[in-house]
Amino acid sequence: MISTIARKEAVELWRDGRFRWGAALVATLLAVALLSGWQHYRDIEASHTAATEATWQRWLSQGEKNPHSAAHYGVYAFKPITPLSLVDQGVNSYTGVFTWLEAHNQNPFEYRPAQDAPALARFGQLTASTVLQLLVPLLMVLLGFSAIAAEREAGTMRLLLSAGVTRGTLAAGKAAGLALGLGVLLVPAALAGALALVTTGTAAETVSAVSSVRVLLLGGSYMLYFAAILGLTLAVSAWARTPRAALVTLLGVWIVNALVAPRVATDVARTRAPLPAAEAFRQAIADDLRNGIDGHSPQDQRQQALRDSVLAAYGVDSIEQLPVNYAGISLQAGEEYANRVYDRHYGALASTLLAQEALHRRLGLVAPLLAVRSASMGLAGTDVYHHEHFVRAAEEHRRLIQRILNADIAQNSRFGETYTAGPALWAQVPEFTYTPPSLATVLSNQSSSALLLVTWVLLAGIAYGVGMRRLTPE
Amino acid sequence: MRSTRPLLEADALVKDFGGHRAVDGLSLAVHPGEIYCLLGPNGAGKSTTINCFLGFVTPTSGSVRIADRDVTAHPVETKRALAYIPEQVNLYRNLSGLENLAYLAALGGAQRAERERLRSLLVDAGLPADAIDRRVSTYSKGMRQKVAVALAMAKQADVLLLDEPTSGLDPKASNEFSDLLGRLRERGVAILMATHDLFRARETGQRVGIMKRGRLVTELATTDIGHAELEQLYLQHMHD
Repeated sequence: MISTIARKEAVELWRDGRFRWGAALVATLLAVALLSGWQHYRDIEASHTAATEATWQRWLSQGEKNPHSAAHYGVYAFKPITPLSLVDQGVNSYTGVFTWLEAHNQNPFEYRPAQDAPALARFGQLTASTVLQLLVPLLMVLLGFSAIAAEREAGTMRLLLSAGVTRGTLAAGKAAGLALGLGVLLVPAALAGALALVTTGTAAETVSAVSSVRVLLLGGSYMLYFAAILGLTLAVSAWARTPRAALVTLLGVWIVNALVAPRVATDVARTRAPLPAAEAFRQAIADDLRNGIDGHSPQDQRQQALRDSVLAAYGVDSIEQLPVNYAGISLQAGEEYANRVYDRHYGALASTLLAQEALHRRLGLVAPLLAVRSASMGLAGTDVYHHEHFVRAAEEHRRLIQRILNADIAQNSRFGETYTAGPALWAQVPEFTYTPPSLATVLSNQSSSALLLVTWVLLAGIAYGVGMRRLTPE
Repeated sequence: MRSTRPLLEADALVKDFGGHRAVDGLSLAVHPGEIYCLLGPNGAGKSTTINCFLGFVTPTSGSVRIADRDVTAHPVETKRALAYIPEQVNLYRNLSGLENLAYLAALGGAQRAERERLRSLLVDAGLPADAIDRRVSTYSKGMRQKVAVALAMAKQADVLLLDEPTSGLDPKASNEFSDLLGRLRERGVAILMATHDLFRARETGQRVGIMKRGRLVTELATTDIGHAELEQLYLQHMHD
């Protein structure tokens, strides 16, 4: 009987011009979003690959020079773009895509597309995630608001209930019918997305880069989100006295979920975990480097202490007598002190950003969009956590380069002499490779998002069930 | 006729809504092949009585039974045995008459019927052949009622409940509807019809009951009374 009701609902939905137009519009937007996401991925992937290769060749072919000059010459580290970013570009537009790895400085990431975007871009980008998170729920609301309320208003509820249909069967049939109608829209979209994923690179690359488990989990997260929205839509329709009241209520729910909650969540996160102003952040790092982390160890004192300790360790009176080049030791000591300063400030910055992200995720209890957005970005590898993971990996590589070059200066030259090294040294520096966080880590991060989505599905289901239990024929 | 057990029975039925008693100790029985017409003004308790048989409202006390089963205790089974035609038969506007019938018959537990059989039932119920595959949004009230009658035939219901079915129908449509009810009665269906239409009740029914303020104040066979007498009796009760 459930299948009979579901089939009839789907037929009615299909014959309803609103569905055909709405579904066609959403399907078109989804197709355009997927296509532009695919094109964006291909462009960025190609330019990153070319730039990564170019920067590496530039490093290897920089010619004879002092290793410290080479350290300042530096290399660029490009954040890899994940194939699933064609679905959800996450925070990539705001975090930048590459950084310059050089001596002394942990540089910020450069090229943030959001900085160059026109003012209208503030209204949101057309991405597959935008369509899935905002427009598909709106379509569901517009199609489902009358599912129960209209039966009561039109009087067909009396016929249904007099036929011996139980409220539970009716509830399940209605839900299955609407899901079937939406499946007509979403299944082709999912297939198009899968096709786009496969064609983002060779199959082998795609499979290794994006485990199929991530794809399935991403799909599962959106299914939970849609189930929650479907449940809420049907619950409101069951509780409302008229279809008009159901529509007004559901549009209010949609506005809160899609427009108000993300803004409020951002403001709450900003208030609860405030970020330092950019200038203050830079000044604090400069102050610590100059005056010491404790504020009482100026740079000249630290250098004097280092010099004394090195001379004592080697049992000599001057740096000229050292069997190693003191310049290399001093440079490395300066790097290591700066590393402590960077760890302190960038570490605190990362902690604040991650705290904001966690707060956003927890606020998924208020609006399911926040939970699915977190899960979507996390599984697509485009959230703050993935960015910070890459920042850390790039910084570790910068430090490794400095260690190799400074060690070479210390070991292979003498204080005061003009020293140059060549391609053999540059080749000792390993090429930067990046391994993204494991799926287990991502799942651990996103477990609360999944839990919140399941909670929303259960709550919506309970509200729907109670609404149907108290349903009267008119 | 009375040798068979009634298919519809109300026994000392009481239904209160808050402090208001809508049905007050009603007892009646409708036998197979009988049309029983419940008369009375608005608020007399006719629709509440029908709703009790439908299981839409639960009796405060007393009982309602369909085919020997208590409606409250067996809500699904009793509904399987009945068909219901409300004052306004509202169907699914985007489905055709045939699709509506197929859907509601399937939900009502009718044996899976061939489309052709359902089509012939619609024709039997008086629906024009060219309307059967048209969307119901183009149907008149009378045409929608014919779909409901076809549904009763498709379900092979033992019991038919009608709530003001001829209200708003033109005389020709009312007449056709009465004929349809007569044919169902001949098939042994027990029919309980709430109506304001004294003439139709006298013409169609075998017995009429007059309700006033929730109570059944008079019950008599239509063979024992003429149109004028019925009207006089009705008005007399209303003015008491």
